[in-house]
Amino acid sequence: MAGAFVLDKASILDRLGGDEEIFAMMVDMFVQDVDSNCAALGTALASGDAAVLRREAHTVKGLMATFSDEAGAADASVVELRARDGFVDDQAEAVAGLQQRLREIAAVLSAG
Amino acid sequence: MHNVLIIDDSDINLTLIKALVLKLGDCSPTLFDHPVAALEWCRSNVPDLVIVDYMMPDMDGLKFISAFRALHGRNEIPVLMITANDQKDIRYDALLGGANDFLTKPIDRIEFSARARNMLSLRTGQKYLADRAEHLSSLVEERTAEIREREKELIFRISRAAEFRDPETGAHIQRMAHYSQIIALGLDLSIAQQKLILEAAPMHDVGKIGIPDYILLKPGKLTHEEFEVMKGHARLGQELLKNSRSEVIQAGAEVAISHHEKYDGTGYPYGLKGHQIPLFGRIVAVADVFDALTSERPYKRAWSLEDACQFLEDGRGKHFDPMCVEAFLAGWEHVLDIRQRFRDEEMPQI
Repeated sequence: MAGAFVLDKASILDRLGGDEEIFAMMVDMFVQDVDSNCAALGTALASGDAAVLRREAHTVKGLMATFSDEAGAADASVVELRARDGFVDDQAEAVAGLQQRLREIAAVLSAG
Repeated sequence: MHNVLIIDDSDINLTLIKALVLKLGDCSPTLFDHPVAALEWCRSNVPDLVIVDYMMPDMDGLKFISAFRALHGRNEIPVLMITANDQKDIRYDALLGGANDFLTKPIDRIEFSARARNMLSLRTGQKYLADRAEHLSSLVEERTAEIREREKELIFRISRAAEFRDPETGAHIQRMAHYSQIIALGLDLSIAQQKLILEAAPMHDVGKIGIPDYILLKPGKLTHEEFEVMKGHARLGQELLKNSRSEVIQAGAEVAISHHEKYDGTGYPYGLKGHQIPLFGRIVAVADVFDALTSERPYKRAWSLEDACQFLEDGRGKHFDPMCVEAFLAGWEHVLDIRQRFRDEEMPQI
């Protein structure tokens, strides 16, 4: 399990070429979409469809990487790779961890 | 303005990439969160750059690129695929499948700008070359048309040179050439073939240049020996025109050698029968004889149209190919127009 999310705004801005405007836009979108992203992960798990879970975990991995959350992205990558190998049912705990992580990131970003 | 197509099922990525594309300047992004809809858009729109995510519902980036490349004219358009750092195998597949370059997630603005600019430069170069090729092609077309016009004029003037030594007129050449075209139309020949016979028919009597004046200009009936010499104009015409690289002059050679052949095999120089006679020869035979009959000459009055038509009718299957007579009579309205347009007393139009 990853440690607490710490916002590394400098590294994110570095990637965005120092563009505060784009950063603010992405933060808004992340916060706005967090519920639907969590719901999509839950739905994928409930569907029992490994391909769908793999894709949702991949999306979440990308989102976390965008906000420089390497630990969260690594957890999402584990879910993605296990789903690629056909594992779904035993990933409930890991999926719940990802949902919690997404909400944690959203909270930190909202707090600014 | 470059049209940049961005396809990603993640809204946040779409927004991010759009913002980065706009920062490039002179770009207009088009966004799709679903690859199938993007592909549909691509059927009627041509982007200058495609940026596509790998993992998407229904159709992944590899399949999208493959389907995109299969669309007509989309083979050269630059495609950037977005992959994660740990997807090396997918990158290889994408390269083989038609991606030009990659972007890694999370997206880095410096890397993005450099790669996107490279791809857009490539596209600008492609468009420049395409425009240049089109320009050169139209230039070649223009120059070829000029040469063709000059060729037409020279052919007409050569044909006139022969006719100047003959009681027949320049208007005769024009009329019989247009009658030949009417017959070609009636026989359902292609537009190109109709045009070819229009341009080649005037050369039918060019061999008369080689016939001595005392025979060519003799007012009375030719003796048997004189007529044998006169018949030589068909071969002389072919000799003058043969082995040309010009399609029109090649057709002219064919017309010259065959326009005095008769459908029943009693013509000259070879006594060919029916379809042994080249089609252009069979066509020109009808056109030439009809105009000769209906034209006034120092040694004869013009036949009436009715009598000339009757002559053609009577000659079906004997002198003339019945299909050519049929085609000529079917275009009667046009025949009358041509007679009006090219009168003997008027200067012929080149």
